[in-house]
Amino acid sequence: MADPKYAALFLAEGREHLRACNQLLLDWERDPAAAEPVSGLFRAIHNIKGMAATMGYAGVADLAHRAENLLEAIRAGRPATPDLIQLLFRSVDALEKAVEGASAGAGEPGAELLRALDDAARGPGAPVVGTPPATPAPAPKPAAARKGPIGHLVGVTIRSGASMRGARALLALQRAEALGRITALRPPAAAFEREGFDGRFSFHLRTDVSVERIEAAIRSAGEVAAVAFDGSVVIEAEGPQAPARQIRVDLQRLDAMMKQVGELVVARNRLLDLVRGDGSELAELAGLVSRLVSDLQSEVVAVRMTPVGEVFDRFPRLVRDLARDLGKQIRFEAEGGDIELDRSILDELGDPLLHLIRNAADHGLERAEEREAAGKPSEGRIQLSATRERRSVAIRVSDDGRGIDRGAILAKAKREGIAEPSVEVLTDDLLLRLLARPGFSTAVRVSGVSGRGVGVEVALGRARALGGSLDVHTEPGQGTTFTLRVPLTLAIVRALLAQAGEERYAVPLAYVAETVEFDTRAVTALRSREALVVRDRVIPTVHLRDLVAARVDRAPARRPTIILEVGERRTALVVDALLGQQDIVIEPFDAPRGMPPYLGGATILADGAPALILDAAALV
Amino acid sequence: MSHTVLVCDDAIFMRTMISDILNQAGFEIVGEAESGLQAVQKYRELKPDLVTMDIVMPDMGGIEAVREICKQDPDAKILMCSAMGQQALVVEAIQAGAKDFVVKPFQPSRVLEAVQRVLG
Repeated sequence: MADPKYAALFLAEGREHLRACNQLLLDWERDPAAAEPVSGLFRAIHNIKGMAATMGYAGVADLAHRAENLLEAIRAGRPATPDLIQLLFRSVDALEKAVEGASAGAGEPGAELLRALDDAARGPGAPVVGTPPATPAPAPKPAAARKGPIGHLVGVTIRSGASMRGARALLALQRAEALGRITALRPPAAAFEREGFDGRFSFHLRTDVSVERIEAAIRSAGEVAAVAFDGSVVIEAEGPQAPARQIRVDLQRLDAMMKQVGELVVARNRLLDLVRGDGSELAELAGLVSRLVSDLQSEVVAVRMTPVGEVFDRFPRLVRDLARDLGKQIRFEAEGGDIELDRSILDELGDPLLHLIRNAADHGLERAEEREAAGKPSEGRIQLSATRERRSVAIRVSDDGRGIDRGAILAKAKREGIAEPSVEVLTDDLLLRLLARPGFSTAVRVSGVSGRGVGVEVALGRARALGGSLDVHTEPGQGTTFTLRVPLTLAIVRALLAQAGEERYAVPLAYVAETVEFDTRAVTALRSREALVVRDRVIPTVHLRDLVAARVDRAPARRPTIILEVGERRTALVVDALLGQQDIVIEPFDAPRGMPPYLGGATILADGAPALILDAAALV
Repeated sequence: MSHTVLVCDDAIFMRTMISDILNQAGFEIVGEAESGLQAVQKYRELKPDLVTMDIVMPDMGGIEAVREICKQDPDAKILMCSAMGQQALVVEAIQAGAKDFVVKPFQPSRVLEAVQRVLG
């Protein structure tokens, strides 16, 4: 069983189950009387046990087994006290460590935890160790909170050859419904009518009726291949998504595929360039190949898209633990978890979000007393949200805490000679730059003002590296919002090509709001900088040829201007000429020391010549 | 005593076929209907043990007829006869009170299994 393929599968699936465990524990903690989280936990941990045993990971299997025993005792009626739930949180943590370390042959879970689990499972009353729920036990008197029968988790499989499996499933469900109350139906009934429904579903049936009678009733619906109960029920992927058939693919393969598609795109662009204006059959064929390559490219990109929820899901647990450690009351809300991002970008977001959330909990939110004194609810709130914007995704971390003290920060900046003494107002922009200075914010924190540690530095650095941006907005007494913007996908982006002097530059379209003509009559001054008035909006200008110190001949009189937009901020980038749009493949770029920050990478253009990519976020 | 059946379908071909299958299995066909409206009327008159119901029929479709019949007699035993690709309609019929369904083209054994389940 040492096959690395299985080890990888074990790891991937184990992680999924453990993530589900954390969510279920949080649900359960909120409503200790609910039965569904317990069944869900039991199944997840049971699955981990089975997989671990198959792999020969005895430590993991043993820990899972003991946690399962405790859950079994709780299912049989042991009241779920906060201590027990906390013990299970610890067990899930230990399982996480054990699962991650198992393939590396890492350490076994602590004996203390195992003993605590056993003691808890044994409990003060009946010993219920290691007996699977073959029959509904003559259970100890259920806790007061859970009145009535506990019932069973039921899994049903409709025969694969049956016609209209969805309608058949509905019949089977109706037969079961005649025996008791149905909850936790997976997939939801609406999925039964979908094309891909595979005839498998599960639900919780609250009833006194024996499993034999339940099975007979369900089978009477006809075409039922199998009925499973409790521990042996295999749950289909949860959630309302269509139960499509899926396979797991190694991410490295997708990366390799993406890279090759990238090269294909470049070759395609060169081909189109060569046959341009040529009315021949060759040009026609090149057009066809081009469309096919585009389709292939969007397919590959789509395959790599992953819902941000995969990263968001780990934070409710984190915030809960932070709240405990800090002795604060914190409510965590996440939305937009279904918005998708390229896998490789998503993988980079965990860290910066972690820092921002930790900062919000630690420095942003006040203690309950302080909040009440300020007339706010004693429970602080941290919100995490994702929204689509043009060709990027904005992820916001907001708190409703005290806000950042601009006055104190500005005073500090002046003392240290970072800000000019004449600066009167600390803009959000300048604030962000100050917060991201490594020594600076730490110093502020020491002085007792709400500072923001290394988190901002990390988040800003990561955002830039991904071709994105970070913004901060803060209101005294109302709270602080950090907005992290990242492109949808990394590898291939659509870009506008611009010329300055002899060189060509690529500007990712994600940040291009529009292009206008640079007109000297529309030039004005904005805080002693040149600015352009575009439809009553004053936008500061940047001349690309000045920026890159292009060796000039005279600049042309009429110059096109690209309006860059990153969040709320805009800059007018004046260039010598616009050369059209092109899909560019961003080449990994080992930035030489001292490379100007406005360069975000390099690419090969359709004609085979290299071009530099401008980083819009660094220009606005 | 053999079970009585009301066969509802607007196509003579289908009515004949279903009747033959059920006759051979010892059921007594007590009536036929070629529209939903007729089905409701004949159900009231004949009180059959079983109804086979086509979904698409003129003058009140099969689903509407199921709803009407079940309103009068919640224990009515109705077997839907559906064509392929009508799953959404079958689901609707089940929600309206139909007890089971068979999918055309009919295999006699399948029809009889379904009939047994409905009567069982």
